[in-house]
Amino acid sequence: MKSNQRLDTMKKGQKYKIAKLHTKGKLMHKLLDMGFVVGSEVEVVREAPLYDPMELKIHNYSISLRKSEANLIEVEK
Amino acid sequence: MTNIKVALAGQPNCGKSTIFNMVSGIDQHIANYPGVTVDKKTGNFKYDNHKIEMVDLPGTYSFSSYSLEERVAKDFIISENPDVIVNVIDASNIKRNLYLTFQLLEIGMPVVVVLNMMDVAQRRGIEINSEKISQMLGCRVIEASGAKGIGSQEIMQAIVDTAAETEVYEDFKINYEELEPHIAVIEDKIKDTISPLNKRWMAIKVLEGDATIIKYLKKEYFDIEELSKIQEDKFHSLYDKDTVSFLATFRYDSADIIYHKAIVEKKKGIETITDKADKIILNRWLALPILFAIMFLIYELAIVGGYKLTDYTWPILASIKNFVIDISPAPYLTDVPMITDFAIWMINSANALVNYVPIFFILFVLIAIMEDVGYMPRMAFILDKIFKKFGLHGQSTLPLVLGGAMVGGCAVPGVMATKGIADDRARMATILTVPYMNCLAKVPFYTLLLGAFFKPDMAIMMFFISTATIFIALIIAKLLTSTFLRTRETAPFVMELPPYHLPTIKGVLLSAAQRVWIYIYKVLTIVLAVAIVLFAMLQYPGISDESKIKYDTQLTKALDTFEKKAKKSKYYEEVDTKDEIADLLNYYSGYKSKRMVASGKDGAKAVDAKYKVINPNYFKFIKPRKDKDARTINKTLRKLSKVRNRILRNIKNEKVENSLLGMAGKSIEPITKYAGFDWKINVAFLSSFAARESAVATLGSLYENNQVDSQRAEDAMAQNSGYTPLHAVAIIIFMLLTPPCIATMIVVKMQTNSYGWMIFATFFPVFLGVVISGLVFTLGTSYGWSGVEAMTYFYLSIASLAVVLGLWPSKTINWKGGIKIPKKTDGLYKNYEKNLMKGENQND
Repeated sequence: MKSNQRLDTMKKGQKYKIAKLHTKGKLMHKLLDMGFVVGSEVEVVREAPLYDPMELKIHNYSISLRKSEANLIEVEK
Repeated sequence: MTNIKVALAGQPNCGKSTIFNMVSGIDQHIANYPGVTVDKKTGNFKYDNHKIEMVDLPGTYSFSSYSLEERVAKDFIISENPDVIVNVIDASNIKRNLYLTFQLLEIGMPVVVVLNMMDVAQRRGIEINSEKISQMLGCRVIEASGAKGIGSQEIMQAIVDTAAETEVYEDFKINYEELEPHIAVIEDKIKDTISPLNKRWMAIKVLEGDATIIKYLKKEYFDIEELSKIQEDKFHSLYDKDTVSFLATFRYDSADIIYHKAIVEKKKGIETITDKADKIILNRWLALPILFAIMFLIYELAIVGGYKLTDYTWPILASIKNFVIDISPAPYLTDVPMITDFAIWMINSANALVNYVPIFFILFVLIAIMEDVGYMPRMAFILDKIFKKFGLHGQSTLPLVLGGAMVGGCAVPGVMATKGIADDRARMATILTVPYMNCLAKVPFYTLLLGAFFKPDMAIMMFFISTATIFIALIIAKLLTSTFLRTRETAPFVMELPPYHLPTIKGVLLSAAQRVWIYIYKVLTIVLAVAIVLFAMLQYPGISDESKIKYDTQLTKALDTFEKKAKKSKYYEEVDTKDEIADLLNYYSGYKSKRMVASGKDGAKAVDAKYKVINPNYFKFIKPRKDKDARTINKTLRKLSKVRNRILRNIKNEKVENSLLGMAGKSIEPITKYAGFDWKINVAFLSSFAARESAVATLGSLYENNQVDSQRAEDAMAQNSGYTPLHAVAIIIFMLLTPPCIATMIVVKMQTNSYGWMIFATFFPVFLGVVISGLVFTLGTSYGWSGVEAMTYFYLSIASLAVVLGLWPSKTINWKGGIKIPKKTDGLYKNYEKNLMKGENQND
């Protein structure tokens, strides 16, 4: 089922596949360089103590994104 | 002997600098890449009859031109044409690291891959077949561990071997399948270029929209950008993919192939030490307390501990000062040679700054440890939400703490620590707000004022002073990022949280020593230059002729009295000429000052013994004991010395008042009077530019009571200045906002790479200081506030202003244009609109 799930609202401890990047320019470059390519598996590790940013695991390393940026990444189960 | 030029490339956190330190030893040279503030480290070493020059490129995740570091790295490759590129890879995070490796291989220069942190990979159960990787990539692959010192010889051998084989080198080529025809079009277009760089690589970079390469090629092919655009659009219409994400996906897929063929992970899915540690360190409830504890520890160790250490280093500096005084020409009665004055002034200025070296060294060691361990990005992760609201970045935490968020710090290491902040706007805002933090040297100044005017309310006043700065800094950061810095480049918050690593002692000490050296070399030289200027401004034009005559008469009178009294003693012959008296006076004051700094009975005895040797005849006048005639001389000598000191002080004060600096202080009195500052305060502030310490010294000497020698500076100020506590509050507020000292200005210049910002960082606080302290003083006078009341109102207003600004929405729209999209209530559509705008924003 196609749905429009965004990474920022995803559950802790769950794994998702990247479906689409809704970004352009610098942010898209940066995300691609860090391995946010379509089909990659990403896991939500935790939120920061003040609920933003969030920590993710992708390609077996940890990375943090602000939720405003994670909102631009479409994921699927 | 051949020369080999090597570029060392690698992603951040791959342990590149430990490899660099291991291979090149301590023969390192640090400079900046031209025009930017990125460190360029060069190491020189010899291996097997080859001279190798290794340049450490900035760590980059990719090799496009989107960040400053990437542009710098690419410029180096284009202009310096290295013989070999050494690519350091974190063996425990190989997939993402290979993403960069593919880009480096495509450049068309020979590459040596170094698999660093092999020990960590092994511990994590990652088995790597480096031979297989070597065959697949067509380059040498060396296994190493920088932290353990393994692999140095092999790396050097590989560099030398690879450099020798450049003739048999075959271009590395990825088959990009459906993109190939488009690459061919661009490659064909540039086939006659005079550039020595690999054409296929340039063609790929053009299709990626790489600004550096496009600019480079535009000199020959002005329409290259348009041509590339046509190809990109064609590709997009054929396959519904854009070139940038196609290339990135392709490279990650390629990395994935190597990962699956050459690597076996035996402990996949098992928690690593980093995972376990982060469960505590980044825990929702524990993260903040741990962070504050670490900050407190740094503060205790460096600022408090380092300050104690200066108790031991200060006597060394004091003895240097005494040595300088000893070799300078001695004063003759009230006539102090200018060269002596100058020598003392210079040594005081230098000592005031060198005194902080122990504190800095400890600070820099602690920072290096935190950097190497990997705590820095986690600190940013924890606090980003708060700082983001004020236009700052999570990574602003450390600079602000070092600057003195806790009662006292120093802006110099604070500003220097802003280097790693990825977001340019936040970095600039941090650089410009760190100087508002409470610097250590301001503390004695506050103590002086509080001691003089707020004895009963000292604690609450000190609390206000030490916490007000953080509110001020946040307000200013918000102000700057939404005005002057509004258009500065921002970077998305996409930050790696690297695994924890034990730091190496060598790496930590090297980094700390290099930073201390920058401080000594860059800061001290300029501060001394400014000290010379200030000295001249305090000396000229000097005292008037009438005053000279006045002081001469006073001296003659004192000498007459001395003679009259001394005649009664049988030792009169020993002191019956002016030269002898001058000598004796110097001997006496020299003895007195040495006795003051001597510690304990033994110290005093040593000084006694020393002076007995220097001149046994004079010594009896200083310590007459039972000798009645000597006591007569002693008594009158003491009186003469007192008179001489008073004359010297009066001359000095008059000199200051008449000097250029004094005139400057007086000329701004019409403005500063609204804040209640008279020219004396102005002069103290002006002279504190060289080093903050001198503000206290200048004020102290200006308010010294000439009759009573033993009066403390606080009491002298309270009694003699005619100030009220409200005056003191205005002075304190000005001092809180006061401009950075020269040392800070120099590092601001270094970090912003702009004199304009340095000047702004100097005069904006002065402007703010005059306006706000003037406001508080004027309001306070008309409403009859007490000092504490005025300070409380000031504190409450800035605190609430900071809170209000923090609640204000932090993102403002600073772009326009694009397609006009009619407003719809549909959630999905709204999201699309938001993203579209975001994309356009990031495009420029």
